[in-house]
Amino acid sequence: MDSPKAGEPGWWPEAEPFRIKVVETIRRVTRPEREKLIEEVGFNVFGLRSEAVYIDLLTDSGTSAMSDAQWAGLMVGDEAYAGSRSFYRLQEAVAGVMGFPLVIPTHQGRAAENVLFTTLVRPGDVVPNNMHFDTTRAHVEHRGATALDLVTEDAYDPVADLPFKGNIDLDKLEKTLARRQKPTAGTAPAAGADLSIPFVLITVTCNSGGGQPVSMANLRAASEICRRHEVPLYLDAARFAENAFFIKLREPGYGNRAVREIAREMFSYVDGCTMSGKKDGLVNIGGFIALRDPEVYQRATVWAVLFEGFPTYGGLAGRDMEAMSRGLEEVVDEDYLAYRVGHVAYLGRSLKEAGVPIIEPVGGHAVYLDALRFLPNLPREQYPAQALTVELYVEGGVRGVEIGTVLAGRDPATGENRFPRLEMVRLAIPRRVYTRQHLDVVAGACRRVLERRGQLRGLAFTHEPPVLRHFTARFERL
Amino acid sequence: MARQRRLAEPYKIKMVEPIKMTTRTERETELQKAGFNTFLLESPKVYIDLLTDSGTSAMSDNQWAGMMLGDEAYAGSVNWRHLWDAVEDIYGFKYMCPTHQGRGAEHLISQILIKPGDFIPGNMYFTTTREHQERAGGAFVDIVIDQAHDAQKDHPFKGNVDLGKLEVLIKKVGPDKIPYVSVAVTVNMAGGQPVSMANLRAVRELCNRYQRSDGRPIRILFDATRCAENAYFIQQREEGYRDKPVRAILREMMSYGDGCTMSGKKDNLVNIGGFAATNEKDVYDKLTQLVVVFEGMPTYGGLAGRDMEAMARGIYEMVDDDYLAFRIGQVRYLGEQLVSAGVPIVRPVGGHAVFLDARAFLDHVPQAEYPAQALAAALYLDSGVRGMERGNVSAGRDKEGQERFPKLELVRLTIPRRVYTNSHMDVVADSVIHLHGERKNIGGLKMVYEPPQLRFFTARFAPLERVGLWEFVEG
Repeated sequence: MDSPKAGEPGWWPEAEPFRIKVVETIRRVTRPEREKLIEEVGFNVFGLRSEAVYIDLLTDSGTSAMSDAQWAGLMVGDEAYAGSRSFYRLQEAVAGVMGFPLVIPTHQGRAAENVLFTTLVRPGDVVPNNMHFDTTRAHVEHRGATALDLVTEDAYDPVADLPFKGNIDLDKLEKTLARRQKPTAGTAPAAGADLSIPFVLITVTCNSGGGQPVSMANLRAASEICRRHEVPLYLDAARFAENAFFIKLREPGYGNRAVREIAREMFSYVDGCTMSGKKDGLVNIGGFIALRDPEVYQRATVWAVLFEGFPTYGGLAGRDMEAMSRGLEEVVDEDYLAYRVGHVAYLGRSLKEAGVPIIEPVGGHAVYLDALRFLPNLPREQYPAQALTVELYVEGGVRGVEIGTVLAGRDPATGENRFPRLEMVRLAIPRRVYTRQHLDVVAGACRRVLERRGQLRGLAFTHEPPVLRHFTARFERL
Repeated sequence: MARQRRLAEPYKIKMVEPIKMTTRTERETELQKAGFNTFLLESPKVYIDLLTDSGTSAMSDNQWAGMMLGDEAYAGSVNWRHLWDAVEDIYGFKYMCPTHQGRGAEHLISQILIKPGDFIPGNMYFTTTREHQERAGGAFVDIVIDQAHDAQKDHPFKGNVDLGKLEVLIKKVGPDKIPYVSVAVTVNMAGGQPVSMANLRAVRELCNRYQRSDGRPIRILFDATRCAENAYFIQQREEGYRDKPVRAILREMMSYGDGCTMSGKKDNLVNIGGFAATNEKDVYDKLTQLVVVFEGMPTYGGLAGRDMEAMARGIYEMVDDDYLAFRIGQVRYLGEQLVSAGVPIVRPVGGHAVFLDARAFLDHVPQAEYPAQALAAALYLDSGVRGMERGNVSAGRDKEGQERFPKLELVRLTIPRRVYTNSHMDVVADSVIHLHGERKNIGGLKMVYEPPQLRFFTARFAPLERVGLWEFVEG
């Protein structure tokens, strides 16, 4: 391979900016065993016990390796129910890294969504987002509101090599906000105004779109539109640091700015955020809501107490707040982010060179295999992405996850499969856990499956749960 | 009463956390900063923290070792399997779904089982439990025996269900309007009071006599938060159980129910964690669907893998007879010192806390002047000990906006598990006894900031008069 330059796809520093302090043994079970195990769990990798998996790329959520400083933080956690010093540490870290004065800890990101949405979303509301993640959508819909995806059209093109495919479509945003029932003070409601919009969300990076970043210019413009229409803007900030690093790499004028400053600028455009600490908080458990408005904070604490815990611990052990506050400081380290983004890009580049079809450009936390191009001969009724996920496990003991028809479920009205625009296998890379050699094994497994793709068979359901079928469904090979 | 033999802790100390004694002047400043509300004190300014026994336990070296074996896989974590096996082995329930803590499990169970218009009988309400039941459209009905509401009545099983009250409700609304009978073991709001085995058995028999239209008897779910402490009281107080190990007693208790919600932060000896357990496959299936929305995948439920491992290990440690003898003995040790000195407390002493009867303690302070709040503030001022108000402030206002003036006006001194020594208990006892001698110097308070909901967490107070103990207050 030619060595790419800093900022180009596939570039990464010479070596990891850390050394290994504690290890966890993993083992690759034999191929005949893997054949047997996958059949036992009905060809669904969610059913596999973790010991049966050699390299686990199911998710980057909660699977990070914490640093020695974070582990040390675990030992100094203050478990007081009220006024824990670990809470004040978290508050300082959030203020320092994000610039928000008010924090409500929650046990993880979806709990932050639950608390904030219960506070702000009413039945009949519409919540615009660049692209809702599945739990976010579930929380919006659970309250009888509509989740509206306004991402740019480019996000749906798997091969368009564009720098900021997570951007929200500003034109669509403007048109949506113009339809608000409650118009800007001093103006008459527009004709046909029919929407109640409690806030706008932007997800950075855009997870459902493949971990694609949102540009600073886009955030700034979206913020301006929201302010003009007097609608609050919130970030789903789960991967904010990865997004900030992409801005540094790709957006004119940011190449010499510190990631920390870039992150602060991103947050300066919004009223608050929900955060899953399990991603860019570099922890195994934890999340929070961060806010500027004391009135929203007061209302949200009432729900936090009911669903999570007292506002100074929010359903977390004190030690986990301590670890998260240290993780927030570590994640904006430039060397770490260069390694992290480069590490993921390295897998993408290896796959591309082997001719494996992937979604481009490679995002911040995962590489997505394009199952429709990988298995062009398998009809979508036979769940090609699910079949590919299964083969990858059999071939290399690697666990990815289907992001396609199985995940999309059936239309509640017609009972028919909802075929999404993309049919993918996500290979999510846990932070600081696997080495480049592990990624070579993954790439090798993908390449070998590609070589025998003509022999791959499709799948059919033998057990299909009514909701969230992907977790517990069972299949048979056709 | 015969002098009880002293028990030493059945463990030695392996790791410590320094705590700092503050000066009186510092505490005067901190108390004013916190608006005379112990919830608002910063933890480093507290010397002995008896705010709660929830999530404040010291874990064992074995549990910490388990923390290092956390398997953080999103699906199929080995720690989940260990937790499942521990619940099956110790509680005897067939299915288990982890949650981040007890109220997470209550939320799921309420959403799954309660329909609008349902009634949920229970042996005394608990704040968050009742809130979840009401949000799901149900109404809580108190079926605890009358003695539970009287601080000074001695009764070995003050948490018992009044079978008459339960049967009246069943006959009135019919079995189909009762999604489950909620039995807390022990009863927190009554002072950590236990339920007897005979009572549990009788509740089961009563529920078996009334079938729902799906052919099943009325369901019984335990709030099993302090179930091991309850089992220990049965061993000590109930005929026929003296020679049975707590582990066997707990299994028998749980055999009379169909499932439970559990806050692992109490008897499971962890800082975070909980679960819902059931014997019914259809209930478990619904749990696995809903847990994904609010908590996490059914194989981690919003917990790190390491926390499931620590909880699995804590479940075995909680049924150790020696541990429980010391645990309950330590709470009693504090209670008995106070009783001997004539301090009014809720009798008998429960499993996890000593409750000061603030109405009797400060009989010169009317309930409208928040005697329990004043007493909790005075205790912090005197010795840096933090207790919790459980009286007029906690009870809040009714729908007409009037204060509820509950029968019990208490300060709860909750003892964390395995954290403090009996020397710490002596400091607490000395301070309470000292204040009792000086009680006429403790005046009432007024509320200067009142939040609209759950006011006890963040309300602020000031003394009505700058006299006696409150002389230091700046005007």
